[in-house]
Amino acid sequence: MPLLINKKIIANDSWQSIDAENLEQALPSGDIIVPLSFYLENRDDLQSRDGQLGIQVNGDDDLQALYAEQDNIALVAVEFPIFRDGRGFSIAKHLVRTGFNGEIRAIGDVARDRLALMQSSGFNAFLIPEDRYSEEDLSAFTEVSVNYQGTAADPRPIFRR
Amino acid sequence: MYQYNEVDQTLVDERVEQYRDQTRRYLAGDLPEDEFLVLRLMNGLYIQRFAPMLRVAIPYGLMSSEQLRKLAHIARTYDKGYGHFTTRTNLQFNWPKLEEVPDILAELAQVQMHAIQTSGNCIRNTTTDPYSGVYANELEDPRAYCEIIRQWSTLHPEFAYLPRKFKIAVTGSTEDRAASQVHDIGLHLVQNDAGEIGFEVLVGGGLGRTPVIGKVVRDFLPKEHLLSYLDAILRVYNLNGRRDNKYKARIKILVNALGVEEFSRLVEEEWEYSRDGELTLTTAEIERAKGFFTPFDYDVNAAADTSFDQKLAEDRAFKTWYERNTVDHRVEGYRIAIVSLKPHLKPAGDITDAQMDLVADLAEKYSFGEIRSTHDQNLVLADVKKSDLYSVWQGLEASGLARPNIGTLADMIVCPGFDFCALANAKTLNIADQINERFDDLDHLYDLGDIQLNMSGCINACGHHHVADIGILGVDKKGEDWYQITLGGSSREDAALGKVLGKSVAADDVANTLEKILEVFVDLRQEEELFRDTFKRIGIDPFKENVYALAH
Repeated sequence: MPLLINKKIIANDSWQSIDAENLEQALPSGDIIVPLSFYLENRDDLQSRDGQLGIQVNGDDDLQALYAEQDNIALVAVEFPIFRDGRGFSIAKHLVRTGFNGEIRAIGDVARDRLALMQSSGFNAFLIPEDRYSEEDLSAFTEVSVNYQGTAADPRPIFRR
Repeated sequence: MYQYNEVDQTLVDERVEQYRDQTRRYLAGDLPEDEFLVLRLMNGLYIQRFAPMLRVAIPYGLMSSEQLRKLAHIARTYDKGYGHFTTRTNLQFNWPKLEEVPDILAELAQVQMHAIQTSGNCIRNTTTDPYSGVYANELEDPRAYCEIIRQWSTLHPEFAYLPRKFKIAVTGSTEDRAASQVHDIGLHLVQNDAGEIGFEVLVGGGLGRTPVIGKVVRDFLPKEHLLSYLDAILRVYNLNGRRDNKYKARIKILVNALGVEEFSRLVEEEWEYSRDGELTLTTAEIERAKGFFTPFDYDVNAAADTSFDQKLAEDRAFKTWYERNTVDHRVEGYRIAIVSLKPHLKPAGDITDAQMDLVADLAEKYSFGEIRSTHDQNLVLADVKKSDLYSVWQGLEASGLARPNIGTLADMIVCPGFDFCALANAKTLNIADQINERFDDLDHLYDLGDIQLNMSGCINACGHHHVADIGILGVDKKGEDWYQITLGGSSREDAALGKVLGKSVAADDVANTLEKILEVFVDLRQEEELFRDTFKRIGIDPFKENVYALAH
């Protein structure tokens, strides 16, 4: 799956996603992303291993539990389970405004027509399913140059700029 | 009225090109159907029973003559020569071609218009009182705040994929002509004891399957906090509103499930992050917005005119129209004139291209070049000098836009129903005709006084049937159209949901049933009492008895 960061394709993603299927197996070395519930159950073990930690959430998770841990992790993967689910935008917004400065990665139903909105809300990495990716997607970030509300990069609304 | 600056223009121009590309990718098979559906809806394009339907935004119901002429041009060029005004004060075109929609949007952008967020699960067009700025008892003109909300809500990155659609209405006086209490958020300009202006904030009103009157979450919100507080409400909703069932996804369901105290607590907690932050409105920004809605340069000699009284004495038809279709203006010598889009036996809210051009011309000549669309599907020329009223009336009369029926039973709100809408269960236009034919004597309608009749072709309630003196809801019973009647609803400051009269009536029986309802009213009303007041006094039982007596 193409991973887009700073409008560039990242060839080598250092992060490995540990999902429900391979949770039972021994954890690999290196940087890993684990589901929030797994993280909460194995917090101490996870914190003592080498390699960076990331947590994967979606809108159904206990977000307060995530926010309580955000200073202890380097990445939050926010899942968009379906195209219409917009909760991830608000999760990213909250992470940014409370000073999280790691990677906020959009995963799941991530495709061109929402990339700009995701970036404005605070996402800085986008994992796009192979069959939905095309090189033209990079232009999505600049299709609409106007923003009235403020963005993650510049939270001032237009009347304060 | 508000004029786009370079930034506003860039936004709509870029949005047109973005949508053009989305349409191209969809037609080329590169964009999945279900994603294009969401994207086109956010640009006002539905696929209806026979054809696509494009809904054009008319922000808080205000447009210029130039804009209305553009809408006429679009109706003529891309559609079948007419459009339809909705209760959200927008205009719908019923027959555009999907491939031509980008071109229509480009035409709209030329006159500072668009179709952004006229549908979809996002923040829709903000509505307000059609008499804003010209009504005597107004605290402040709400349109400046509507424009501030329009900009904040336009292409909001975080709130484009809400659980469900989201509607905001703002009022500027103690009277409510914007149905604000049945909106997701209702904002009432109010003054506190210290004399400061702010908003009373209501949340969780709505119609549809589960009609609810909005609840007060804040008695007084200082005006500079408008956007940060809206932001807090929207974030609580975006994260907590139900997404498993679209019929339970509106904010009213969340507010009811949590209780208004808990909901308010969540909002206040959320607000702590943004209160006094970047979203706080600056005095300069409020003043900038207000600067677009300053009073016109009214003729100081307008009140001295005597020609008007003479016309009134000479021409009975004019006098009738004047009494029924015009309203007091805050400036002496001026009137607010209502253009009736409720002609005899034609669909409510429909207007032809030629009629649009005519209204645009009249507005340019006699009402400072501005036109407003109303929640009850009429148009308003808000600033007509009394001495010009006769000319305005003549123009409207010649075009079938002067039926003197405003406020009467014939001034119905009617959704397009099964004839056009893919969601509808039953027809509405034929029933509206049946009622118009039965109650075609205007003197009789005047005797009955103000009665709001609203009709919807399905439970989604686009015709606002819950909040009318008389509401009619079309239902499908084994392939036949039947109609359920409710009484005693109101969308005004005394907002109330109508009570069901009894079992639904057959299509042929709707006008008969209305007659029986009105018989009771005429029998039991005291002096000049209005229907709504009689209903409040006597309740629904006498109506039930008379309508269903023969059936037993």
